[in-house]
Amino acid sequence: MNHTPTRSLFAAALLWAAAGLVPVLAHHSFAMFDFAKVVTITGTVKEFQWTNPHVILWVNADGTAGEAPAVWSLELTSPGNLTRGGWDRKALNAGDKVSVDLNPLRNGNHGGALIKVTDETTGKAFSTNLRAYEKPGLQ
Amino acid sequence: MEDVTGMDILRFSLLLVALTAATGAPAGETDANPAPTTKDWAAIARLPDWSGVWTPFVSDQNRRIKADPTPWRPEVAKQVAAMEAEEEAGRPRGLFIDCLPEGMPSWMLITHNAFEVLYTPGRVTLLGEMDGNRIRRIYTDGRGHPPDPDPTFHGHSIGHWEGGTLVVDTIGVLPQSWIAVSEAVGVPNNGDLHVVERIHLEGADRLYDDLEITAPKVLARPWKTTRIYFRQRARKYDIVEGVCLQGGMASKQDEYGNWLYVPIPQEDGNPVPPK
Repeated sequence: MNHTPTRSLFAAALLWAAAGLVPVLAHHSFAMFDFAKVVTITGTVKEFQWTNPHVILWVNADGTAGEAPAVWSLELTSPGNLTRGGWDRKALNAGDKVSVDLNPLRNGNHGGALIKVTDETTGKAFSTNLRAYEKPGLQ
Repeated sequence: MEDVTGMDILRFSLLLVALTAATGAPAGETDANPAPTTKDWAAIARLPDWSGVWTPFVSDQNRRIKADPTPWRPEVAKQVAAMEAEEEAGRPRGLFIDCLPEGMPSWMLITHNAFEVLYTPGRVTLLGEMDGNRIRRIYTDGRGHPPDPDPTFHGHSIGHWEGGTLVVDTIGVLPQSWIAVSEAVGVPNNGDLHVVERIHLEGADRLYDDLEITAPKVLARPWKTTRIYFRQRARKYDIVEGVCLQGGMASKQDEYGNWLYVPIPQEDGNPVPPK
C-alpha cells in the first residue's frame, strides 16, 4: 500500500499531538515563540541536549490545574553562545528538579524559548539574556 | 673619490640582474602562490587590528528589517510578505534548518554566531563558529576573479585595502544562497549575485560591514546596508567548534562498547523527542 509523504507526515503530526510531544525544528526562527508572554513550569529534567545548532532542554513537567503532566521542550541558542553566558554541558542533569521561565510557543504546544532555569537539585540558576551581550569588551 | 672602474660597472650590473630575478612576476599575473617573504609578513603588522572574536549585533539586524528595508522586486515582495505573515502567526519556515552554510550574503546579514579574522600573506580569512564550512577566503594578492568560477556558498572574493578599510568584491555565489533578513524571511539570490563590502573599524571595538548587494533576479536595485559586530577579547569568547549536524545525532554504544553517532529519528527536519 502506497502512502504519500504528506499522509505519513500528517499521521505523524497526529501521533505527536495525541502524545503531547512537540516537534522542534533545528535552527528555525524564534518567531514561533510569544515573547510577550512568560510561563513558568516546574518538573524534572528529562534530557539536556547540549548540541548544535540549538541546545534543547526536555522537562517532565508537573501538571498544573486542569492540565496533565507533559514533556516540554525548551529551546536555547548554540553551545558557543551559551558558554559565554556561563552555561556548560553539565549545567543541568537528568533527574534534577527544575523551575523554568519561558516564552511559550504561539501554537499552544508544550514548548518555548527558555528564559531562565533554576535547578533546585544543584542550587544553580542559568539564564539566556543574550541582549546583555550586545557590546564589545565583555568579561 | 675613486674613479668608477669597469669592474664596478660589472658588479653593479650583476647586482641589478640579481635583484630583477628575485622579485619575479607580479602576484596577480602568476598561476602559483609565491612563498611569502619577510616583507610580506612585516606588511601584515601594519594592517588594522581585527584580532579577537567578533560577535554580531543581533537587535540591530532585527531593527533594520523595518528601518533599512530590502528593495525586493514587486513579485518577490509578495513572497516575502507571505513569509512575514507566517512568522507573525507563529509558523516560521526555517531557511537554515538543513545545516547548509548560511553563505553569502546571509552569513554577514543574519548570523547569531561569532567569527574571527585571520591575516596571512595575500589573504584575509573569516572563520565562523558553527560548521567547518563557514569560511570566507578573501584574496588580497592582487588577483582578479576567474572568468567562470564554480559557484559556491561563499563565492569568490577578492579584496584590497584602502587605508583601514578592506574593500571586498564577491561573485560566483550559488543561486540557492539566501538573501535573508532573518532566519525565516528571505529568498534565494537566484543567480548573478554581486556583493561589494567595505569593512572597517568604527572606534576601537566595532567592526562595520557596509554591504552593497546587487541581485538583479530578486532586488529592484542594489541594496546598501550595514551590519555591526563587537570585538571580544576575553578567552571565554574564544571560537568553539560547532557542528550543526550533531544536533541530529544520538550517542549510542554498540555491542563492542564502541561509541557511535546514530541519527535521531526525524520527521520533516524535526527530532522526535526521547521516549
